[in-house]
Amino acid sequence: MNVVVTPAMVGQVIVSGILAGALYAMVALGLALIFGVMRVINIAHGPLLMLGAYATYFLYTATGINPYLTLPITMGALFVVGMLLQRTLVFRVVDAPELSSLLLTFGVSIALVNLAQLGFSSDLRAVEFLTGSFLVGPVAFSKSRLVAFLVAAAITAAAFVFLKSTRVGKAIRATSQSREVAMVCGINVQRIHLLTFGLAAALAGAGGTLIAMIVAIQPEMGQIWTFKSFLVIVLGGAGNYPGALLGGMLLGLVEQLASLFLTTQLSEAVAYVLLVVVLLVRPTGLLGGRQT
Amino acid sequence: MSVSRPAFLMLLAVVLAALAVYPFFGTGYGVRSMLQLFMWIALAGSWNLISGLTGYVSFGHVAFFGIGAYTASVLITKAAWAWLPAALAGGVMALVLAVVIGWPCLRLKGPYFAIAMLGLDEVLRALVSYFEGLTGGGFGLSLPTLQATFPIYYVMGATAVAVTLLTYLVITSRFGLRLMTIREDEIAAEVMGIDTFRHKLMALLLSAVGPGIVGGLAARDQGYIEPISVFPLATTITMIVMVLFGGKGTVWGPVLGATVLFFLQEAVWARFIYLHQLLFGAIIIAVVLLMPRGVLGLLQLKYRLPRTI
Repeated sequence: MNVVVTPAMVGQVIVSGILAGALYAMVALGLALIFGVMRVINIAHGPLLMLGAYATYFLYTATGINPYLTLPITMGALFVVGMLLQRTLVFRVVDAPELSSLLLTFGVSIALVNLAQLGFSSDLRAVEFLTGSFLVGPVAFSKSRLVAFLVAAAITAAAFVFLKSTRVGKAIRATSQSREVAMVCGINVQRIHLLTFGLAAALAGAGGTLIAMIVAIQPEMGQIWTFKSFLVIVLGGAGNYPGALLGGMLLGLVEQLASLFLTTQLSEAVAYVLLVVVLLVRPTGLLGGRQT
Repeated sequence: MSVSRPAFLMLLAVVLAALAVYPFFGTGYGVRSMLQLFMWIALAGSWNLISGLTGYVSFGHVAFFGIGAYTASVLITKAAWAWLPAALAGGVMALVLAVVIGWPCLRLKGPYFAIAMLGLDEVLRALVSYFEGLTGGGFGLSLPTLQATFPIYYVMGATAVAVTLLTYLVITSRFGLRLMTIREDEIAAEVMGIDTFRHKLMALLLSAVGPGIVGGLAARDQGYIEPISVFPLATTITMIVMVLFGGKGTVWGPVLGATVLFFLQEAVWARFIYLHQLLFGAIIIAVVLLMPRGVLGLLQLKYRLPRTI
C-alpha cells in the first residue's frame, strides 16, 4: 500500500480522533460506573445506546425539533429504563458469579435488539441535521462530530463533577471502593446501585442521541459499542474513571490512524488487536489499577 | 424412581443404532434435519466444555465454527483436498485461533475473555472479507458439487458423539474437577496449587476443536459459504441457549437442550426470525434467574439422577 502521509493528513487524524474520543469516553464512563460499583459488565450497554438513537430519530421526525434538544428527553428516558432494568433483573445477580451477570445482560441485549427489529424494522434510518463540514486550514471539521464532541465533553465533565463533589456522587464512589464499608457508613447501597445503573444508561442514551446525527440508525448498531466501551475501560484501567477519558481519546486516535492505511472494516479489527495487545502487555490499563 | 445404569446404557445403544441405520429409511429432509441436530449437539457440547465447566463465558464461539468452515472450503477449492481431511484441518485452525485468543485473555481473571470473544466474530468477518484472493471476499466461496450427505451424516454424528464422550471423560476426571473448582472459586483453586491458566487454556482448546471440524463439515454440506453465513451471532446465541436450557456443566444437558430446542425451532419458530431471537433472549434471562441448572437440573432433583452426568 502506498500512502503518502502529509502533515494535513496527520492533523486530520488527530482532530478526528479527538472528536471521536470524547464520545467514546462518555459512553464508556457509563459501563465503567456499573462495573466499578457492582462488578457487573453490562453487555446491554450498547443496545441502550441504540435505544437513545431511535428516541432521537422518532422525536425528530415526529415533531421536527432540533435533534440536539432531544438530549434531556433521551437521557431522562434511558435513566428510567436503566433503573427499571436494575430494579427488575440485574439486582438479582449482583452477588452471583460473574457468569450469571454476563449471561443475564447478554439476554437483555438480545431481547432489546430483537424488540427493536420487531418494532422499528431493520431499515437504515438517518437524522439529516447539521450535515457537511467546514475547513480550518487543510483540516476538515465535520459539524455534527464537532457538536458531538463538545456536548460529550461537557456531559463527561459534568459527570466527573457530580462524582467528585456531590453527596450522591461521593456515595457512588464509596460504594465502588467497598460496599461493606459504604453500608456501615449508612449509605443505602441498593439505592446507589439503582442510581448508578440509571446514570450509566443515561450516558449511553446521550451517546445514542449524538451519534444519531453521525451514523445510520439500525437495531444492530449498538453491540459494537459494548465492545468499544470495554476496550476504553481496559485502556484506561478498570475502576479508574479518569482513565476512561484517556482510553477514549486513544481509541479514537488509533482508529483514525488505522483508517488512513486500511479499509473501514479492517480499522474495526485494529481496535480488537489493540485490546489483545493491552491485555498481554499491561492488563491493569495504561494509568494502572483502581483509584477512584 | 431412578433410572438404573444398565437400562440407560441399553437405551443409549438403541438410540445410536437407530440413528446409524436411519439414512437407509429416512427421507432426504429427515436425514438433513438429523445432520443439523448432530451439528447443534456438537456445538452446544463444545460451548459447555469451556463455559459450563470453567464459568468463563464465550460470547463468540461461532468464530471457531467460521474459521473451520473457511479453512475447509479454501483447502477444498484451492488445494483440491478431500472434504474429510479438510474438515479436520478446520479443527486444527480452530485450535490455533484458540491459542491466539486464549493466551492473552485467560491469563487474567474476570470478564476479559468474555468481551474479547464478543468482538472476535466481527474481526474474523472483516478479515475474511478483506483477503478476497483467498476467500472470495463478500462474494463467498462456492464448493464443487458433490453428493456426500450420507458420509457427512455419519462424520457429523461421530463428532457429536465424540464431543459428548469427551465431556463425559472430562467431567469424570481429576482435570474436570479442577475446571469446576476454577468455576466455583478461582482463587481457592490457585491456592490449592492448580495452574488455572493452563487448565482454562486446555478447556478452551478442547472446546474449539469440535466447532472447527463441524464448521468444515457444514461448509461442505451446504456447498457455499460467505462471511455473513458462517459468522452469525445467532449461532453463538443458539449454542448458549441450548446449553443453559438443558443444564450447563453436565454431560447430557447440552444434548437435551440441543434436541428439544432444535425440533421446536424447526417446527415452529423458524418462521418468525426476530420473535424467535427475542424468545432466546427471554429464555437466557429466565434460566439464569429461575433455573440456573436447566431442565436437566429439575429432572435430577425429581428423579434423583447423578448431579453432573
